[in-house]
Amino acid sequence: MSLYPSFARPRTLADAATLLASLASGGVVIAGGQELMPSINQGVLAPEVYVDIGGLAELRGITETPEGRVGIGALTVHRELQTDPRVRAQLPLLAHAATRAGGGRQVHNRGTIGGNLVAQHPLYDIAPPLLALEAEVEWVKGRETVRQPLAAMLADSRHGLGSEAILTRVLVVPMADGLGWAYEKLKASGGAYGSANAAALVKLKEGRVAAVRLVVGAVADRLIDASEAAAALLVGRRFDAEAGAALAGAVSALVAAPLSDAQGPGPWRQAMAGVVAQRALAAAVARAGRG
Amino acid sequence: MADRDPGMSAAPATGGYVGRAVRTLEGRAPIAGAARYSSDFSFPGQLHAAIVRSPHARARILKVDLSGARKVAGVVLAMDGREVAAHLGPIPHYIDPATFGGKSAEVRTMAVDHVWCYGQPVAVVVAADRRTARWAASRVQVAYEVEPAVLTVEDAIAPDAPKVVPGFDDNVIMAVPFRNGDPDAAFARADHVVTTTVRIHRFSTQPIETRCYNAVWEEETESLTLYGTAQNPHPLRHVLAKVLGMPEGRIRVHAPAIGGAFGMKMHGHPEESLVCLLAKLLRRPVKWVESREECLLIGAREQVHHLELALSKEGDLLALRDRFFANTGAPSACPGWGMAFLTGLTMPGPYRVRDIDVTMTALVTNKPSWNAARGYGKEATALALELALDEAARRLGFDPAELRIRNFVPADAFPYASPTGLQYDSGDYAGAVRKAMAAIGWDEWRARQAEGPREGRYLGLGIAYELTPEGGALPGTMVAGYDSSTVRVAPDGSVRVLTGVTTPGTGNPTGIAQIVADELGCPIEWISVVQGDTTTCPYGFGNYSGRSTIVGGGSAALAARAVRAQMEAVAAAMLGVGVQALRLSDGVFDGGDGRSLAFADVAWAAYTRAYDVASCITPPLEAQATFRPPNIRHSPDAEGRINPYPSYSNAAYATVVEVDSATGQVKLLAFAAAHDCGRVINPLLVEGQACGAIAFGLGGALMEEIRFDAGGHQLTRSFMDYVMPRAEDMPGVTLVHHDSPNPDTYMGLKGAGEAGVGGSAAAVVNAVNDALRPFGVAIHDLPLSPARVWAAIHGRSGAAGGAA
Amino acid sequence: MDDLAQSVLVQWRVNGVLHELDVLPGLSLLDVLREQLNLTGTHMGCMTGHCGACTVMIDGRIAKSCIAQAATLPRAEIRTIEGLMGPDGRLSPVQQAFWDEAGFQCGYCAPGMLFSAIELLAETPDPTDAEIDSALAGSLCRCTGYQSLRRAVRAAARALKDPNPD
Repeated sequence: MSLYPSFARPRTLADAATLLASLASGGVVIAGGQELMPSINQGVLAPEVYVDIGGLAELRGITETPEGRVGIGALTVHRELQTDPRVRAQLPLLAHAATRAGGGRQVHNRGTIGGNLVAQHPLYDIAPPLLALEAEVEWVKGRETVRQPLAAMLADSRHGLGSEAILTRVLVVPMADGLGWAYEKLKASGGAYGSANAAALVKLKEGRVAAVRLVVGAVADRLIDASEAAAALLVGRRFDAEAGAALAGAVSALVAAPLSDAQGPGPWRQAMAGVVAQRALAAAVARAGRG
Repeated sequence: MADRDPGMSAAPATGGYVGRAVRTLEGRAPIAGAARYSSDFSFPGQLHAAIVRSPHARARILKVDLSGARKVAGVVLAMDGREVAAHLGPIPHYIDPATFGGKSAEVRTMAVDHVWCYGQPVAVVVAADRRTARWAASRVQVAYEVEPAVLTVEDAIAPDAPKVVPGFDDNVIMAVPFRNGDPDAAFARADHVVTTTVRIHRFSTQPIETRCYNAVWEEETESLTLYGTAQNPHPLRHVLAKVLGMPEGRIRVHAPAIGGAFGMKMHGHPEESLVCLLAKLLRRPVKWVESREECLLIGAREQVHHLELALSKEGDLLALRDRFFANTGAPSACPGWGMAFLTGLTMPGPYRVRDIDVTMTALVTNKPSWNAARGYGKEATALALELALDEAARRLGFDPAELRIRNFVPADAFPYASPTGLQYDSGDYAGAVRKAMAAIGWDEWRARQAEGPREGRYLGLGIAYELTPEGGALPGTMVAGYDSSTVRVAPDGSVRVLTGVTTPGTGNPTGIAQIVADELGCPIEWISVVQGDTTTCPYGFGNYSGRSTIVGGGSAALAARAVRAQMEAVAAAMLGVGVQALRLSDGVFDGGDGRSLAFADVAWAAYTRAYDVASCITPPLEAQATFRPPNIRHSPDAEGRINPYPSYSNAAYATVVEVDSATGQVKLLAFAAAHDCGRVINPLLVEGQACGAIAFGLGGALMEEIRFDAGGHQLTRSFMDYVMPRAEDMPGVTLVHHDSPNPDTYMGLKGAGEAGVGGSAAAVVNAVNDALRPFGVAIHDLPLSPARVWAAIHGRSGAAGGAA
Repeated sequence: MDDLAQSVLVQWRVNGVLHELDVLPGLSLLDVLREQLNLTGTHMGCMTGHCGACTVMIDGRIAKSCIAQAATLPRAEIRTIEGLMGPDGRLSPVQQAFWDEAGFQCGYCAPGMLFSAIELLAETPDPTDAEIDSALAGSLCRCTGYQSLRRAVRAAARALKDPNPD
């Protein structure tokens, strides 16, 4: 905690990683500021040192990797996710979910994918689609570069704000042609944070579910990967009303400790987990059918 | 009762600005980024204050240790409540409950020894910049002994409840019966009695500009100037003088542009006098800007109503009983608690029932204090009555519109004496309901509703009525019914209007300029309106209760007429014609004989030819006038009742909602209002007022809520949790006018500032309950969050969520 | 390797004027605009990025200045509400439309509403009401109920398409 924090703007990723490693627990990484500044302004956080990674060219750009992934630099803002032709064509689920993020245009213009993910905020909109897409993340800590599934990062709270690691890139396999997708977000009103959300991917074969990915967010302090439960219920079946109801029940049952906050009380959140899951699956199936 | 001036209700003969969508510089400044709000002012040597607040709802203060703050570089002063109390007296109540037979708590600027709500000021730190002040404030150590808190109405009225105010024998600050006729007999002969409990939650006006006070000490004259977000500069000056022990004449209050107020910037707040004290002690300017977290402490509106309606089998409302309780939070010098009084006084709203038995109980609790909030309790009257009427219609099988129309005060009954003593000036309530229903396409929506739900989404239609007494005056308080304006014409013919009323950003200076332009027969561009400065403006009471155009416009019109008479006398002398021969329009005096004089030439002559053509007048071209609405009555009638309002604006609201039965989400599909604010001065400004109030109502009905945990800690601390309507939440509003002019005000004005909060909220609740009819449930607990609606549909009452 | 700095030199062109400023780490762009450059047309409403009253344009995109840290903008082109008027002191077409239609009452939210409308209309010259609502989603207005704001944005769209209606 400091009234007079210090500031560094490293020019290279290596410099930034070295600096952060040398600062032990006192350094805080900042880029767009959309996640960090509210806490600083309210006096909740008072970092000793800001490490501004906004100047790191290594963290910019949306590219195709040699192995055919879409590589999204950590400094990519929501606005780019919404409009980038590659993301729109190859990861339409992500492009769409980015439009549903809160804060309006002003925040979409500055909020980065890296900041959104490291915040590990259960109500945010970028992690659910990426987890459904089985994305990987790449991060740097000291001299070490680590690549791991996003799921592993989300399971480990040490990568949140204040850690010495820098998230550098998100890697996602392009969505296959004909894959149905949907992002369903339930919020109490226009300005409210999400009360429940679901990202769904579905592959149909002759009108029946052949494969499914389903992630539910904003209902518990961690995202819920409901893919296995969904697959057990749905694979080989048509997604009709009966299957939808069964899915809703199964997903709600996965919410062991629902959040209870300004976005709504626990019992309702638990029920809504099922509702958004069912609706997301229905929309994804409809889209797959059209494709 | 003052005499009625028959000329007041007439429109001026010339001009033509009134009634038009005129725009002036006042409306241009913010668009150009040129409006200056309180926090935009800084002065040489500026210091900044930060306040340490209690994290507990009720506690004894064992020790305040300021040493940590004093060690921070840049800190010039740190004080606790005990030290502040040595310099400052208690804050006079804006509306003292004792004046009306209630109990008056002594309200200090900061807590001394004992804390009575979460967020109460405990210590203050002054430093060279805001960041340092806040940082140092976080270094103040306070030791508390936490005591059990009184949070709910039920807590407060429990026989063994702790006393919120030490020395009080209970937690009631005021209990008032509003009784008329023989309600017991009416209930005994009624065919039906319908009971409804309506719970209105705590919500708040939350202007986007928070409060700010910047006090400047002038050593040369030992005087203070307070720049700040003040709706009522002159009355605030009086309060500061009392608290600081200084003469009013050495205090100036200057309220620059205000970024929305809605009652929250009426005074009594501790920071007003605190900042003045700090500037006086330090001989330097001291500024405090409220954080949003601090602003969210200010609550309002929380009430519980237990209503009983007695009805005949034909649907006549025979009697009304309502036991209601207001949770006004900790005692405060602000006028918030008085909202509860108005809720009772406005019963039974637009309905002609005479036998009433209403009891208002205003309670203090250990929640943070209220301040006034747009609607000022009248919104709660509308909510309680309109929800109860719909409940009766549902249970007894009446059409909700027909039930209302059958029971309204009829249009030919005005002026109408209400059973609580109010004198309604005019209205056509049935006509307004029919207009609102036509505007929304009621019958078409009913037909669509009859087709049944689509994909689990249920249509619901709701109507509601709201009567909004405006322009109030309470005897023995600074809530005055009259106000004053000065009109000056300069030697170059330009016109300056100085008013005792102020604007919180509603546009009333534009309306007042329109009125003066028409009265003076000059172009509106020549007029500038000055408000909000106790040094330059006539003594006035500022902005509240929808009064600013009624009494500000009325007094400006009277002053303009007096100046015009001066100018006509000079012009007639210059032309050698009789005054009756003159015609004045568009800044030209026409002698009727082919000769004319420019307005500026007449003004110049009035100033420079005092011994010939202007000898018939007393220079300068200036007049001050007061408009005192004649129909306010403070001398009690035989039953001890007064009529504190001159004007009774009213409106009908109709809405259509769609309820998603799977989620409980409510979507507004259509909204219409038929609005009676009397004569419309500027349709753009009236639309803005009406739609803004409707947004308040929709926000309150559906989303806005200040929540606490079971220990009394406030959970709602930022706009992440206090969610207000955004553009996408607001349906287009079809606004139609159904004006019946007030015979007792200038041009028939009624006030447009408040109507809409309760009526629109009630219409939404009624529409949701209409949509829920297939499920056999209705909700009377606000807000109608999706969780609450879902819980009602799915029979999960315990799952609706809820907080203290 | 970079040294840790107690203050950061930034070079900004603000409303066309070049400034070199020392800013303290941690301060928001809003604080620096208001306190160091005296550009008080940009307003503080919540300091958490919810209300939009602090909206400015940074390098051509609109942003909430309360949650942009000044020190993270070493070089930037910044436009505030004071920079929307033409050099001749005339209101821009979007501003004029907001004035004509009484898009505001108190005007405190003006930076958010005006900049949101400007960015929307630059991309979507003929927006639907839903697109207008979505463009205004980052800003709160407590006075108007949004009805006149929507109408002002529609009027601005017409004015931008036909700059010389006379």
